[in-house]
Amino acid sequence: MALTFPFAAIVGQDEMTLAIQVVAVDPSIGGVLVLGDRGTGKSTAVRALADLLPPIQVVKGCPYRCDPAKPAGACPVCQARDPKSKVVTERQSVAVVDLPLGATEDRVVGALDLEKALSQGVKSFAPGLLAQAHRGFLYIDEVNLLDDHLVDLLIDVAASGENLVEREGLSVRHPARFVLVGSGNPEEGELRPQLLDRFGLSVQVRTPQDLALRVSIIKRRDAFDKDPTAFKALWHKDNQKLQKRILKARELLDQVEVSDDMLMLCARLCQQLGTDGLRAELTLLRATRAFAALQGHKAVKPEHLQSMAPLALRHRLRRNPLDDTDSGARVQRSVQEVLAA
Amino acid sequence: MTREPTPPEASSEPLERWNDALTALQLLQIDPHGFGGVCLRAPHGPVRERWLQALADLGLGLVKVPGSVDSERLLGGIDLAHTLQTGQLHMQAGLLQQADQGLVCLPMAERLSPALLAPLVQALEQGQVPPTRHSAEPSVTRFGVVALDESLPDEPGVGAALAERLGVWLDLHELSPSDIHADWTDANSEGLHLRLSPGALTRARDQLAHVQANDDQMQALCAAALGLGIGSLRVPSLALRLACAHAALNGRQALEANDLGFAARCVLAPRATQWPAEPSAQEEEPAPQEDVTSPQEPPPQPSENADQAPDDEAEKDKDPGPPPEPSAEDLQEMMVAAALASLPPHMLDALMTRQGANSPQSSGRSGQTRAGSQRGRPLPPRPGRPGGQARLHVLATLRAAAPKQRLRQAHSTGRVAIRVEDFHIQRYQQRASSCLILALDASGSAALQRLAEAKGAVELLLQQSYARRDSVCIVAFRGAQAQLLLPATRSLVRAKRAMTGLPGGGGTPLALALKMAHEQAAQLQRQGVTPILVVLSDGRANVTLQGLGGRAQAQSDAQSWGQQWRASGHRALWIDTSIQPDAQAQQLASTMGASYLPMPQVQSQRMASAIERVRSPQV
Repeated sequence: MALTFPFAAIVGQDEMTLAIQVVAVDPSIGGVLVLGDRGTGKSTAVRALADLLPPIQVVKGCPYRCDPAKPAGACPVCQARDPKSKVVTERQSVAVVDLPLGATEDRVVGALDLEKALSQGVKSFAPGLLAQAHRGFLYIDEVNLLDDHLVDLLIDVAASGENLVEREGLSVRHPARFVLVGSGNPEEGELRPQLLDRFGLSVQVRTPQDLALRVSIIKRRDAFDKDPTAFKALWHKDNQKLQKRILKARELLDQVEVSDDMLMLCARLCQQLGTDGLRAELTLLRATRAFAALQGHKAVKPEHLQSMAPLALRHRLRRNPLDDTDSGARVQRSVQEVLAA
Repeated sequence: MTREPTPPEASSEPLERWNDALTALQLLQIDPHGFGGVCLRAPHGPVRERWLQALADLGLGLVKVPGSVDSERLLGGIDLAHTLQTGQLHMQAGLLQQADQGLVCLPMAERLSPALLAPLVQALEQGQVPPTRHSAEPSVTRFGVVALDESLPDEPGVGAALAERLGVWLDLHELSPSDIHADWTDANSEGLHLRLSPGALTRARDQLAHVQANDDQMQALCAAALGLGIGSLRVPSLALRLACAHAALNGRQALEANDLGFAARCVLAPRATQWPAEPSAQEEEPAPQEDVTSPQEPPPQPSENADQAPDDEAEKDKDPGPPPEPSAEDLQEMMVAAALASLPPHMLDALMTRQGANSPQSSGRSGQTRAGSQRGRPLPPRPGRPGGQARLHVLATLRAAAPKQRLRQAHSTGRVAIRVEDFHIQRYQQRASSCLILALDASGSAALQRLAEAKGAVELLLQQSYARRDSVCIVAFRGAQAQLLLPATRSLVRAKRAMTGLPGGGGTPLALALKMAHEQAAQLQRQGVTPILVVLSDGRANVTLQGLGGRAQAQSDAQSWGQQWRASGHRALWIDTSIQPDAQAQQLASTMGASYLPMPQVQSQRMASAIERVRSPQV
């Protein structure tokens, strides 16, 4: 297994790392979209995600990595098991699955297991990338260039949390709950609005222009490339600290209180910005709560809203396609107005 | 104070470029996957052959990946042919796994489909092939890529996602065999001795692990990259690796100016998007490096700058000795000078005129064609019944039937048992995507206020094209030249930005505009996109093809290019924007075979619907 660059060692790109941490605290926020130029550390940050999360308990031998604590909604394999037998579990690290652009539909949703069919004459289902990403992250680089038929698939699965395969004589339904992480360069193409909507948070990254920052990034990258193991060990402690922080935030999440005033603020903000549907409010609310938990606060405060609103709302504004002003700034302005009112 | 460009002939000597290309080969041998690989831009010919021969002689594993490879061969999977033949399951290792610790060679890399590039790039970056359906574990493979780019200068090159990750960009386009004649003759007899002996190789690789760059050098590297307008952080990272390998090759533990210069020439220079800012301008930038180190350093003098490169060369010859530690600024100066010196003159001009440009000039063709619907491009086959428009996809059908042969007891009949449910059909994208080429008259006769009107109308058009997922390309013409304001793109933001910055005034070089539109159309056609031309002009050409005044000559030039357009058979629409439409524009339009629409007041809505009619005449 190739080593990934430690998350804690990532310099700069604060907004992106923050968004990723927030989503790690509460996966139900629904994923992160990172837009920006090449070579800004998008994929490095996403691939380092696994560092942030502690290993999860899975049912041993289950190809869908089912949660032993939640037998309901289990996969076909776990359902077929005798309910009285004791469930054997094991710990696995959280999956970060890459969905490459050229992937075939078979590969993504899963298909007939040719190997078994040929060697044993058994018709069985070989899970695809969606199954692998269950309870983990699905990363799509250059998501704006993804083929339309794959986008359709993803939109459906990301909304329903389960993958339904009806093809080649197979009829399989299995859970596929994952956090969608996409990255891309908006100059090369735009995203379908439906897919855009599936992402909870969106971040804009720019290449850092600060020379000292760039130097330190290059230094760390170089150190990592030279000796990944040593570098990883060097940052192990910080990674652990981050992981603990996220775990703590997760525990705290249920206790974080959202006052009615805050709810009103959220609603007013969304109203003023004219976002479609209620998903914007919900996401904003969840993100703000997760951020408060990450900060160790037990109540959501206006400043939490202030930091999260651009992330949660930026991509939901009804936008004149010719208008190239940064939507984040627009959101920020509205937040100021709403808070001042 | 303006900085003089380093005289190009100082060191962009063909022989030197050739030597760099050979050095790159040796570095590949030392560190095949450290700096990503090499992107070689050169036409097929003796020079490239020579380089490839030397590459093959390196003794590294070299796996050639043709553009037609399927994903199972590339990443490993079922060997379908063998499996069908024997009735037993046969797996094959992927080409990428075979290339472990060696190189992957991509001929005609500029033509590779995104579907092929994506997994390749993924494997290159992660150093492993993702687990496939048939193997739960990812398989580790580290390889470098040698991408051979045969594209012509005006064609889009290797996909940006791949090119970005290849450290060394070599351009041997303009090299002729006689340029490398010096080692041509003696090489004929005994071949190039590029291959390091096993002992030397081990030594160099050992050395590589210990090569360290000091802070000043890192700083200089980053500053040089920033100064040349290279935003991506991957680039200085790759340059650093290359410099380290170069030091290791020369048996050094510490990086020297020489190593950095080589990296600047091979990694930074070809990617430069702007002429480095003037020293004065640099101080205004957010992070002037003067703050960080040695503030006493005065701004460099132009003469010093020009001398830097030869100095650097001279250093190579004499024993380096212990030279005084150069400061970060010196190093940066040196690298920028080395980078600029290695650029061919026309690139320099381009950089000079695009001073301060922030975005790279093209955002990669792959992006547009990928999402676009191109006529005749096959899509992955799907299950379905043949008949009507759908054609049977034989291979996919066999693939679907293959696993069920045992169930169907095919062996008793001796035939492949295929059932209806196996049928797969070929899919092509139905609608060919089109690209609207807007030729926009920004000359004085088109009057400024009318230009503003036209801009408004064009915005509406752009929105429509956006809704249709079509791309747009804008050619503006005024004064003595036609300008490609916006290469075919789908990004509305870019289109709008290009429009807003457009000045007006000057003559009407209609012939030049038509010529450029024609060239663009031909290029789009090659990519499988249908071009549609919309000319917004009053048709009063008064600048000739040579960019000179002269109404009669200008008209006849315009006529002849109009005929060219007609010969190409593409559709066109002429919107006459003059207040009093006259026969001139109408005649030109008919020569072009274009629809003609006089529109003294530009009415966006009317214009848009006219274009809609031209686009889909059958409706």
